[in-house]
Amino acid sequence: MKSYATFTLLAFLLPAAVEAAEEISTFSAYVDSDICARLMLGPITAERVQCSQGTFKDGAEPVLVRLHNNMVLTVNKEKMLRPLVGQLAQVSGKLKAKDGTIKLESAVGITDKSIPEGDPARRMLDVRMYKTDRSAQLHEKIRHELAMMPYISNFDFISFTQNGPDVILTGWTVRAINRDTAANIVRDIPGVETVINNIEILPLGSFDMDIRARARAALQRQLSRYFWGNGSDIKIIVKHGRVILLGMVSQKSDSDIAFIQCNAIPGVFKVFNLLRVQGSETGA
Amino acid sequence: MLTHQFIHFAAARFGGAALMLVIALSSCSRPVPKPAVNKVPAGQEYSGFLQSYTNLKPNPDFENTKSFVSSDPVKNIHRYVAVIVDAPEVYVSTNVDQNAIPERGVAALKEYFQNAITNAVADAFPVVQSSGPLVLRLRSAIVGVDVGQATRVDSKGENTLQRPLNIGKVGVEIELVDSETGEQIAAAVDRQDLGQGAEVGSVNFSREEKFRAATVAFDGWAARLREFLDSAHELSKQDVDRIESTNFPY
Repeated sequence: MKSYATFTLLAFLLPAAVEAAEEISTFSAYVDSDICARLMLGPITAERVQCSQGTFKDGAEPVLVRLHNNMVLTVNKEKMLRPLVGQLAQVSGKLKAKDGTIKLESAVGITDKSIPEGDPARRMLDVRMYKTDRSAQLHEKIRHELAMMPYISNFDFISFTQNGPDVILTGWTVRAINRDTAANIVRDIPGVETVINNIEILPLGSFDMDIRARARAALQRQLSRYFWGNGSDIKIIVKHGRVILLGMVSQKSDSDIAFIQCNAIPGVFKVFNLLRVQGSETGA
Repeated sequence: MLTHQFIHFAAARFGGAALMLVIALSSCSRPVPKPAVNKVPAGQEYSGFLQSYTNLKPNPDFENTKSFVSSDPVKNIHRYVAVIVDAPEVYVSTNVDQNAIPERGVAALKEYFQNAITNAVADAFPVVQSSGPLVLRLRSAIVGVDVGQATRVDSKGENTLQRPLNIGKVGVEIELVDSETGEQIAAAVDRQDLGQGAEVGSVNFSREEKFRAATVAFDGWAARLREFLDSAHELSKQDVDRIESTNFPY
């Protein structure tokens, strides 16, 4: 009887202990869209704000970018962030840095003045303070290691930013192994000290899988020269019916063809065409 | 009025009889339940589980293993991103009496191996439940299971099997097929004798120290499957050259 009572007591207390272990974090963040957060690494400029608000309006999901380290966090309550996209916010919630997620408890809009001078969070707010100190040799080493990852498919896009010994990994993948491998191989490169892993693992719902297959088939049919062996210069990112086209094409008309082909796929809500045209400064 | 009553009575009485007859007939024609295990055909090198054995060749990277990986540019392992893991099949040795095989033990063995495979592949090939484009189906068979002597009555616990399953001479046959068309994309017959001296004598074998050798063997085959998938995913020289010539990832 006594052991039963002890067991019951433990059963009640253990979840509470686990709950207590997940402490509430409060920090300053920029409320971004998931597309801009993973592709426009660096300071919060007017261009970034425009990107955030524009892509959010077009259906991209709101996420948080933690100001002091550029970590992208997906949230459980997107509703709380919707009115704040393109703004700074003071947020609190249960943070799971390993997964890049936060269970939001509150999010309140703030101005940059409320972040004190000298606070590491200010680094992201001023272009002059955000310097990318880049060693060409280290940059090439990181690029090479990431490019040689064996499980990268047409449906994964993994990129990075290097600021001295600090590396921010970013992108989307359909396989958990790519997220982990990327962080592990970059962490092992001599000269790298910290790695922030902003690679998101994409859901594999049947609608998205169907879109992926159709998009690849259509692009491979129309733009076969960008597909080779088991890789491609065009990356097709699909999340909840939204398609993001990334990579490099040689002419603007190819970018347009890719956009039109993907737009014609049943079930696609929106195509974000971020294909870059070789020799062109801006994306297509 | 009377006629109406008669019709109702007849319909109720004979309708019910007809229904019973249909039920009786359908139960008579019900197919004989498939045994829990299959048997390796006499004199055959393979169990017959795989769709095709014709493309299998000895794999220099894996001892005692023959394998096949499709190099079709349209249908190859690189073209898929997820997998359905089917419940493994069990094949007993040719000379084993199928009726002597304890069904509960087979079920436990299947469940353990399915979990081991799932854990081994899941981060590289996310496991999904429904077939579709980009989805492979992973079919597997544990081949060559034998049964031991009947267990002594006094040692029987609730979860103890009447006869232990002997996996000393077991091999594994595995194939990845397109989940929509069933086309074979990769296959392997692994005869590495990881199960030497191992047996399964309890439904809870995975939790019992004396059956540790069996769990080690199944985990070992699952790990070799994962190594096989990794080796099938290594970049070709053509891919490496192309990647090196681009600035990916930019």
